[in-house]
Amino acid sequence: MALIEMKGLEKSFGGKPVLRGLDLSVDKGEVMYIIGTSGVGKSVTIKHLVGLLRIDAGEIWFDGKRVDQLGERDLAPLRKRIGMVFQSSTLFDSMTLAENVALPLRKHARMHHKAAHDEAVRRLARVYMQDYADRYPAELSDGMRKRAAIARTLALDPEVVLFDEPTTGLDPVSARRVDRLIRELADTTGLTAIVVSHDPPSIFGVADRVAFMYQGVIRVVATPAALRTSDDPIVRQFITGQSTGPMETPGF
Amino acid sequence: MIAALGAAVLELTRQVGGIVVLGGKVLRALIPPRIDGRELVKNLHKMGNRSVPIVVLTAFFAGGLMMLQSGPFVKKFGATALAGWGAGYAVLREIGPILIALMFSGRVGANNTAELSTMTVTEQLDGLRALAIDPIRFLVVPRVLAMIVMLVALTVIGDAVALLGATIVAHFMLDIEWATMFHSFADNLQPYDFLHGVAKSFAFGGAIAMTSCYFGVTVKGGAVGVGRAVNAAVVAAAVSIMLLDFLLTYLTG
Amino acid sequence: MTFITDIGTSVVGAYRAAIELWLVFIGTLAGLIRGRKTRPKGEILRQMFYIGNRSLAFIVVTLGFIGMVITYQACLQLARITGDFSQVGSQYMRLVVSDFGPTLAGMMLATRVGAGIAAEIGSMKVTEQIDALRMSGVAPIDYLIVPRFVAALVMGLFLTIVGSAVMFGLGGLTARYSFGVNLHAFFDPSFVRPRHLAIFLVKALSYGGTIPIVAGFCGLRARGSSEGVGWATTAAVIGGSFAVIVLDFIISASALFLTGGDL
Repeated sequence: MALIEMKGLEKSFGGKPVLRGLDLSVDKGEVMYIIGTSGVGKSVTIKHLVGLLRIDAGEIWFDGKRVDQLGERDLAPLRKRIGMVFQSSTLFDSMTLAENVALPLRKHARMHHKAAHDEAVRRLARVYMQDYADRYPAELSDGMRKRAAIARTLALDPEVVLFDEPTTGLDPVSARRVDRLIRELADTTGLTAIVVSHDPPSIFGVADRVAFMYQGVIRVVATPAALRTSDDPIVRQFITGQSTGPMETPGF
Repeated sequence: MIAALGAAVLELTRQVGGIVVLGGKVLRALIPPRIDGRELVKNLHKMGNRSVPIVVLTAFFAGGLMMLQSGPFVKKFGATALAGWGAGYAVLREIGPILIALMFSGRVGANNTAELSTMTVTEQLDGLRALAIDPIRFLVVPRVLAMIVMLVALTVIGDAVALLGATIVAHFMLDIEWATMFHSFADNLQPYDFLHGVAKSFAFGGAIAMTSCYFGVTVKGGAVGVGRAVNAAVVAAAVSIMLLDFLLTYLTG
Repeated sequence: MTFITDIGTSVVGAYRAAIELWLVFIGTLAGLIRGRKTRPKGEILRQMFYIGNRSLAFIVVTLGFIGMVITYQACLQLARITGDFSQVGSQYMRLVVSDFGPTLAGMMLATRVGAGIAAEIGSMKVTEQIDALRMSGVAPIDYLIVPRFVAALVMGLFLTIVGSAVMFGLGGLTARYSFGVNLHAFFDPSFVRPRHLAIFLVKALSYGGTIPIVAGFCGLRARGSSEGVGWATTAAVIGGSFAVIVLDFIISASALFLTGGDL
């Protein structure tokens, strides 16, 4: 069985259906990209995996166990195995980078202040940010903040990491750095990654498989190469970036 | 019109309910007390530092004001021995705790709501949850404790400064001797008056802390939402202070 | 040494802020005198409705409660020392008119109205709507602050009168039901002189005018994003409340001085 299984997920917000029976499987050790237009529900999908949102119907399975009905307290062990890097990096403004990364270490690995701090610096080194350990997030660029946020998410060595639009809003150089980091982590540590993105260089440079989301379901799951040569007209429009075509884009 | 009133009442009950639920969560997190020590110390520091100047100034003026109101009256009747009574009594029991609480609410309560709501809007609270850290235990509880402790401490300090302010005004504007004031305080004010005020500040601190944190974590919508949350928090705190004052005064006499 | 520079910087900062605040005040008065050119029609009335609507219940509830408490405490203390309630009502009325009424109403308005104005204008500032106004040739002070200034002056006075009346009335009921004071004896205006009414008016108008200026000033200074709006709202509440207390002190002391120490 796949590491993560999502079956028939349904979710509405204020009467408006966003997920309409979504199915997706993610295998251990793979880098799966979820792509689609803005607002289609990609972030909503991955937030369900760590219980930040609750599904209206469907099942979510992780490592052979059903996890969509867990209470807040029971979600804690799950959240140590699945980490999430948010779109807005969500580092805590009132703490330095080292303190940010040390936080989960202090709380869960029960490390003392000094030991946690040293370990935090070591983790920051893995994302090439050790020189900025004592700086505050507000002093750094978006790309640096994103890398530090990744270091914090990795602090407890989760098996799976969810990335919500990691390269959106970054300049091209920083974006490619983040891409390379994700690929490196997957290759060297066997990390399973689910990445929400609509950044083509990222999609075609890093993904093992790509899931294309449209109208609340996963329309196509394929390797990047297969996607590029797909016959599906909707997929073609997205890949080639046409503003007109068969795709339904609400609001235009 | 009736529909609007009904909607407003429903909204109010929803908010009160929400605050009570949050209060329950805070209390549950205190038993057993596993609080993040560093967050607690950081907040004590921040809240104390920020509010001492404004509270001291306010208390000084408030004490002086009370003296201005009661002093001439006392002088006219020649009862200078009671000079400190009117001002002192009012300060310790009512004016001191209430004004200091209102100032604290504006300075620290509003700031706290601004901080928490900014953190909520920028997904930092979700970030904590994703790290399996309970935002209530980590963020809210230390702040609630810090606010209550700080307000009680500030009320004690403020009471002293207010009495000083009353004495200074009495001397320079009403020509009442230092010694007369001191004696009138000592003779007419009882420890219970002081404790009555302090007990109130404890309750006020709780009210300010809970309303401040509630509106901080339930904020919706970006910059506009933050402004509205702070607004709602200070208003709710003011009403709670008046309500609690009323209840406590009647209950403890 | 850095301690000295810190103090120095904050004093300079405070001085600059005070100058800016004064300029906003002058600007508001100037805008008022110059008349309605860029202001939308009926904005003043709209603001008056907005302020009155949102604050009436709040003022009535808060001043009502505190009126009851003050009377209760005063009667309690009188019972302890003299046992004579004959002057409670008249003295209380004097206090409500010359001090407690306007000042407590002022502080509540600083909270309710001040925060509201700062939050509104602050949000507009951080979403660059203020800049957009300037680009269209409209002075923000004229467009935003002047209507709120007038509205707050008028509604502030109205709310203070209503609040003070409630404060006094509920105080009387408290004296009656908790201490058996005769209501007729309580509602005794004999101690209220014309000068007390004058003080009432001066205080209510001063507070009503100062709060929107301070709040508007804080709103226009908001920087950053959501945090900026938060700080602006906080500053408005604190600034407004503190201004009310200081003004109260100044006006009360001046009145005392002018009447030669007689109340």
